[in-house]
Amino acid sequence: MLEWPASVQPLFVGGTLLWSGGLKVLGRSARRAAERSALPSLVGEDRALAAYRLTGALELALAAVLLLPPAYVAETAAAAVLGAGFLGYLTYAKVVAPDSSCGCLSKRRTPVTWRAFARAGLVAAAALLGTQADVWWGGGPPLTAVLLVAEVAALVALSPEVDGLWLLPLRRLRIRMRHPLADRSFEMPLESSLQQLLASPAYQQVSPLLRSGLRETWDEEDARILCYTAEYDGTAATAVFAVPLRHYSPEEVRVALVDESTESTLLVNA
Amino acid sequence: MPSPDRRRFLSSAVLGGSAVAGATALGSLAPETAFAAPRIDLDPGARDPNFAEGRITAISGSLLKVSGSDKALHRIYVTHGTSVWKLRPTTFDEIKVGDGLYARGVKMPDGALAADAVWVNIVNMDASITAIDSGRLHLDHHGGKVVGHVVNGTTAAVYNHTPAISDLSGLQVGKHVKVIGAWRPDTNEVDIATVYAGI
Repeated sequence: MLEWPASVQPLFVGGTLLWSGGLKVLGRSARRAAERSALPSLVGEDRALAAYRLTGALELALAAVLLLPPAYVAETAAAAVLGAGFLGYLTYAKVVAPDSSCGCLSKRRTPVTWRAFARAGLVAAAALLGTQADVWWGGGPPLTAVLLVAEVAALVALSPEVDGLWLLPLRRLRIRMRHPLADRSFEMPLESSLQQLLASPAYQQVSPLLRSGLRETWDEEDARILCYTAEYDGTAATAVFAVPLRHYSPEEVRVALVDESTESTLLVNA
Repeated sequence: MPSPDRRRFLSSAVLGGSAVAGATALGSLAPETAFAAPRIDLDPGARDPNFAEGRITAISGSLLKVSGSDKALHRIYVTHGTSVWKLRPTTFDEIKVGDGLYARGVKMPDGALAADAVWVNIVNMDASITAIDSGRLHLDHHGGKVVGHVVNGTTAAVYNHTPAISDLSGLQVGKHVKVIGAWRPDTNEVDIATVYAGI
């Protein structure tokens, strides 16, 4: 009963190990990936890269015997042990070094999440199933190809490293059809008035007197009023700017320096 | 002065009206006056005495007690002339214990900082957009997940250095953005003030 689905597992597990082992051994950013992983806290800073490469070599060797005939139970059993070991490593990483990257299938930094556990569980379970195989995967019925495709799809779905290839394009497509943030009301944002203020001659003249950041703001009919605390002739004053609300012309920005305690205007640009 | 009257007075001062009588025209503002502010010379590497940052541990009256990330303790006075930013320009009563802040001001003889400006929970981060749903951007910030909340009436977008607009429909999944916003303390969520993006 389990023979035909089992027969294809060495191919699936072998392919996965080929991917992850190849990346660890041949990847150009292996050093960085090793440093970001939980390995430094497990085996020490100095040995992290060596341990990372050694794991990769082990994975490659196992991938080779799994992919090539003949099929021995020992091969998939070893892969299952490796998978279980990796689940243990992920648990360790999650507990001891939660900020580390899983360092599994890409040079991209990917924190350990439930997806990493699910993926490792998938590979371990596949390897375990593979121990039931008695023939090499090359001779399976066509249905095995369907199973293989499904497994690869699950592996990809659980791999944050390849989200950029399928998940993000899907989300991009959805947003192209209907952007979730498209129906916002049109208002002139404060940031726009601030940009205009900073570009204005009035602000540039007065800015050395300003002490505070933007204190308060409100809208008059065609102008947005922006208040700052200023210091003028040794006294505290309020710098009041009026920025055009509905059009961009920084040269129209007006300013007045006001002494609020005496309700007198000290300075205006006319 | 009550607030509506005060605002009317300030508006009329700048927009024109009776209050301008007797004021100096800006043209006569000599550069010597403008640049007369005392300059502070700092030794390279010395701590700026007129700056403080950290988490607020207590608020009493107008005094903020702040524990700096370098374990330094700061006392910061907020006056009616202090600007307070928390997602937008706001008032002292919006500041809560547990908030993070940056403050700039003048060191007083007793060691406290009289703040000119206070920025509460402000964050500036580079991220990429991983998903967009109604009212939220899901961001990847160096591998960490951050939820960016869109705040109606406040959140603005700057595309390719053009003037800021409230239209966020130019934001795309997978694109790199810079976000200025207000962190919600002890979460991975921020309220977005401005998002800078390319189109």
